[in-house]
Formats: sequence, C-alpha cells, structure tokens
Amino acid sequence: MRDAGYSPLREYGAIGDGRTLALVSSKGSIDWLCLPDLDSPSVFGTVLDAQSGGSFSLAPEPPFTIERAYLPETNALQTIFKTEVGVVRVTDAMLLPGSGLVPSRELARRVEGLSGRVPMRWGVEPRFMYGSRRPELSRRGETPVARSGKDALAVSSWDAGVPVLNETSISASYVACAGDDALLALSAAHEEPLVFPSRTEVESRLMSTIAFWRGWSAGRTYEGPWRDAVIRSALVLKLLIHSPSGAIAAAGTASLPEELGGDRNWDYRFCWVRDSALTLHALMRLGCPQESESFFWWLLHASQLTHPRLRVLYRLNGGDRAPESILPLSGYQGSKPVRIGNAAVDQEQLDIYGDLMQTAWLYASSGGDLDSDTGRRLAEVADLICELWRRPDCGIWEVRSEPLHFTHSKIMCWVALDGALRLAERDLIPRAHATRWQREAKAIRTFVDERCWSEEAGCYVRSAGSGELDSSLLLGALMDYPSERDPHLNATITTLRRELGSGPLLNRYSGEDGLGGTEGAFLCCSFWLADALARADRIDEATELMEQLIGLANDVGLYSEEVDHQSGEFLGNMPQGLVHLALINAAVSIGMKQRS
Amino acid sequence: MSIWGAIAGGFVGTLVLTTALSAASGFGLTRMDLPFLLGTIVSSDRGRAKALGYAMHFATGLLFGMVYLGIFAAIGESGWALGALFGLVHGLFAGTALVTVVLPAIHPRMGTPFSAAPDRPLLEAPGFLMLNYGRRTPLVTIVAHIAYGTIVGGFISLAS
Repeated sequence: MRDAGYSPLREYGAIGDGRTLALVSSKGSIDWLCLPDLDSPSVFGTVLDAQSGGSFSLAPEPPFTIERAYLPETNALQTIFKTEVGVVRVTDAMLLPGSGLVPSRELARRVEGLSGRVPMRWGVEPRFMYGSRRPELSRRGETPVARSGKDALAVSSWDAGVPVLNETSISASYVACAGDDALLALSAAHEEPLVFPSRTEVESRLMSTIAFWRGWSAGRTYEGPWRDAVIRSALVLKLLIHSPSGAIAAAGTASLPEELGGDRNWDYRFCWVRDSALTLHALMRLGCPQESESFFWWLLHASQLTHPRLRVLYRLNGGDRAPESILPLSGYQGSKPVRIGNAAVDQEQLDIYGDLMQTAWLYASSGGDLDSDTGRRLAEVADLICELWRRPDCGIWEVRSEPLHFTHSKIMCWVALDGALRLAERDLIPRAHATRWQREAKAIRTFVDERCWSEEAGCYVRSAGSGELDSSLLLGALMDYPSERDPHLNATITTLRRELGSGPLLNRYSGEDGLGGTEGAFLCCSFWLADALARADRIDEATELMEQLIGLANDVGLYSEEVDHQSGEFLGNMPQGLVHLALINAAVSIGMKQRS
Repeated sequence: MSIWGAIAGGFVGTLVLTTALSAASGFGLTRMDLPFLLGTIVSSDRGRAKALGYAMHFATGLLFGMVYLGIFAAIGESGWALGALFGLVHGLFAGTALVTVVLPAIHPRMGTPFSAAPDRPLLEAPGFLMLNYGRRTPLVTIVAHIAYGTIVGGFISLAS
C-alpha cells in the first residue's frame, strides 16, 4: 500500500548543528527532526507517518516550482519558490550556539521576498515522542509554546503573520512582498526552561552559523577531482558527527525502507565500529585531525566496557545497548514495521576487529599517540582474534540467517592481526604474542585462499565453500588484501561487477540473508568498486564509474543508502554516512592514481 | 574527632574508593575512571593525565574528609554508620551534580549536551547519574562512596 503525503526521499535536504539533524523537503516542509539529539525521539516525523508524525511546513499558497542549493560550502539550505505571483527565497539552518544565553537547540527559517506578492503559509505541528504525544499549546507573552513532558518548543516569528493556535498546531499566513524579510525560529528545551531569542540574536547566529560552515569547509585540504562532491560529503559527515561525544552516526534517520512497502527498515542513528576505519581514513584524507582524534578517543572509551570484545554498534553517547522496538507508525509509504533501536548490537561480527585495528594503525601512523594502556588493550584484541577467527559469524551485512564463515570477516581478521604486527613492529603495542599473531594471520590467509576462492567463479566468494558473491569483498582490496598486484584482486573485481552489477549500481550479495523481500542497489558498494578499480590501476573504468555515481546524488548532493534499480528513487536511511565516506575515499584514491 | 583522623580516613577511604572503581572497570561494570577524568582537565596525554588524576583524586578525597569532619563537629556526632550515610549522600551528589553537571562545565576536553559542530571534545560527557559510562555506573559509584564515607566516619570516630 502506498500512502499519499510522502515526499520522495530524493527530495530531501539535510540541515544540522552537530547534535541533531532535520530533513527539509522540496515542498518546504521539515519532516524529520529529533530533539534534543539525533538519537532522541522525533518531534517532526512525517517521513515515518504522514498523518501523525508532525512537521514544520513553510511554502507559498499558490502552486510553485523550486530551485534549491546549499549556500556554497555550508550546511544552510536555500530554496527559491517561484510562483505566478512572485518569488521568495527561504534559508533553512540549524543554528550553532555561539556565546551568551541561547536556546539549547535552534532552527531558523528566513523568508525573503524577491519579487511580486506571494501569499505564504507556515505551520508547526509538533508530535513529541515519535508522534505518540500531542503537545499542550499555549503562549508565553506573544510567543506560542508547545510542551510535552521534559520537552518544549517556542515558535518565534517576525514579520511572518500573526500565529494562530488550534488544538494541535501553530500556524500563520501572510503575504511576502518584494524586499520583505521575515524570520521564523524554533527554539527547543529539554529538561530546562525555554530561552526566547530576539530577532537580532537569531539573525546574528544565522550569519555566524553560515560563516562557521564556510570556515570549516575552507579548512579542508582536499584538492583532487570531484571536489564539490567531496566537500559536500565532508559537510554531511560533519552533520553526522555527534559533537558532545565525537561519535559518528551511520545515518540521520531511522526506519526509512530498503524496499517500498517492505520490512527492511532499520534504525541507523548509532555508530558502527564497521565504519570506523573508513571514517578515520576519510577524515584524515580531508584534513580533519581534530575530528579524527575525537572519534578515535570516543571509540576507545565506548569499547572499554566490553573489552576485549566489541559490540557491532554503540550509542552516540557510548552506551552499548540498543534494544529494538517497533513504533505504532504507518511507516514511509506504508513500509512497516517502523523500528527504533537495532538488534544487530547483539550479533557477533568478526570483521569489526579488523576495523578497530586498522583505525588504530591509521591513527598511529598519522602521528596520533597510543599510550601504553591503549597498546595493551589492542594487543589483547589481537589475542582475542587468534581465538575467534575460526568461528562463523553474521558478517558485515548483519544477516539474520545462520552464521557462516564469511570471507570478508576472515579477511578482516587477517587485517586485524596484520595491523597488530605492524603496530608491534613500531613498539606501539606489546609484542609478546607477535609470533602467535603471525602464525594465525598465515593460517587465515591459507583458509581464505583454500576455502574462499572459487576457481569456477573466478573470484573470492561470499563464504567458505559457497558459490555466492559479495560486494563487501571489495573492502578487502581497500584494506590491501589482496595486494594491488595480486591477480585475484582483478578477477574478483571483474566478476563482482559482472554478476552483481547493473550499470553503475551494485547489489550487496547473492544468496540468503534470513530476511524476506528485496532491496535496492547499495551505493557504498558502487563507490567501493570505483575505489578498488583505481587501486587495481583500472583508472579509466574507475573514473567513468565515479562520474556516473556522482550523477546519482540528489539535487543538493546527498545520498541515501540505496537506489531503486528501476526508478532510480532513493531507498533507506539518509543522508547515509557510509556512502559519503566511500565517495570521499574513492575520489581520493582515483585522484592519487591519476597523479601518479 | 581530630584532623588526623580525617586525613587518615580521607586517604584510606580514597584508596578504597579508587581501587573499587578501578576493579569495577576491570570487571566491565563501568567505564568511569575518576583519576582519568580529573587528570584530563590539565593534560591530554593519557599517561600523564592518569598520574596527575590520581594525585588530584587523593587531594579531593582528603578535602572531603575535612568536610565530613566539619559536619561531624557541627552536629557533635560521628561514627562509621553516620559516615556511610554521608557517603550515600556524597555518592548521589557526585552522580547527579558534581561529575554530571560541574565537571563537564569546567572540563576543557569534555563534551556537554550543548557542544555543537564547532566543538571537538575528546571525552564523552558522563550524562545523568553517569549512565553514559555504563548502566551499573550509578550503583558502583554509590557503593564506593558509601565505603569511603564509612571509612572516613570510622577513622574520625576512632581518633576521638
């Protein structure tokens, strides 16, 4: 069943402040915002339930067309609404706090009349706790306020009509004339009193927010090909970095479907250890040493509680529990269930140990300091890998079928031990067990070469003894397994592209995963393919593929997790960090090869 | 009641409290490490931060021993049971205000709920009752502080 009232996912732009993130549709509606943090319950959740999710709409009343773009090198989104009676420009941004007494979270919408006289209408319909709580609406002086439990919102407006309160919404209409400048500000409070800003303060913070993003972008050192797309991806990653801790969320949303009407709907507002090495690599390649250090410290702290074992994912505040539950929402275009939390947290995935060790290696080799305590912990992780690698696991794709000996997991165990040996060679971690690590690394290599290589398929296969294929094996190439000169690398790339690919798109794998339904093509896999092609010195193929992939972004340069093979529509959570990470790393790899 | 009892109690109490928290961390009950949290106020070098943090923690322990002594003197009573009660209050205060609110506010390397995109913290904030550091952190903290209070109360009483 397809419900009305949902915008295509491709039509969303994202704004944020490093704590939370909002999705703004091309119709001018903010359909997703969680407060106070990205992993808190939503207050605007129309994207998951068009009837009861809540939204903040702002648009001309007559029919309109739009043009929109981010203000260059910022996370402030500008939409130009064109109507038959005139043109208005809306600038949306989550404001950064600056100094003084400021709201704990603040969203600004500036409306400028560019020509004519345009009847405008805006409406705030907050639905706290994922739509389960209707707000109590009242006024504090002239300012409308919505309250529910620990949370409250103030809706300040200047030259944007007289707000009217009804049972569930705050709304107003007015006419935007050429030269008019109206302003709306949403101020949020959580477990504290509301702060009511003045117009001057909001305008000042909007300017300083734009200046901050421009300054941050100017600080990135990347000068290679597809710079605009790389910087946009960097800005997306910065939106997904949870500033209070340094963790990076996998995506900004929960439960957007991998298949319209399907049940593959997952909450991605957690930090996956799986993404850590790629994250650190991308941050370092972009010239973000402070974000890199912050993320590495967070990863070490978060994993301390379960040491030497790792959880698949951690909460943004470092917590190690993410119990999965189902919300009574209708889901995006009827895609049920709507899940929050993620049961994958309890799975066993061996690949994450390779990601941790690779992250530590990248951090240390770029000059980061590994103290003796951290070194001891990493050595204990390497010891653990020697015991664990022979076990089957759920693999990088978190299958919910029986655990298998996934090839990618074994390769990442080899990456873990190889990384430990390199760290030990530099005396960064204790080398007492290095001989054992060396022996087990060799055993893993033998296992992969003998059990996970198929002469018939002409490539590495998904799991030991199977004939199935898996795009995650491209990550082996990105982690230098096999080496660039290994003929197995070329053969695997060619086979995966031929068998799992369709144009620039690539499926994740063939075979079962314990779930029903289908899914779109995974965009990160396509970027990994471009990266692997470059590393295999197939530069022309890599460049051509990259051009096609850059063209798949939406009008403001964002990607969701997947793309529908037939319609080209976005599927899955967005904006998706792993896709933007993969874009950055692929662009850098291709650029390096082009220069060499 | 004497100042020497408070100093001895503060020292031994802090020793026990620190050992208990360290053991709890080793057993995977909490990620809280008070000397580390204190030491990183003045240094981002992990090793140096821990050494400095231990010194700061012991100084703080002695200071609180004096505070206990002052309150005992004011009410004219002391003893291990009263000390345990003070320890309970002390632990709750630490979990709800001292470490949760005051420490993030003064710590230059710790995130707070108000940290935004321009900030790049190296340490996650403890959160309410320090729950960010593990679900058992409040329990561990309160038990350790009750032990501290019991020892301080006992030593002050014995030194009477």
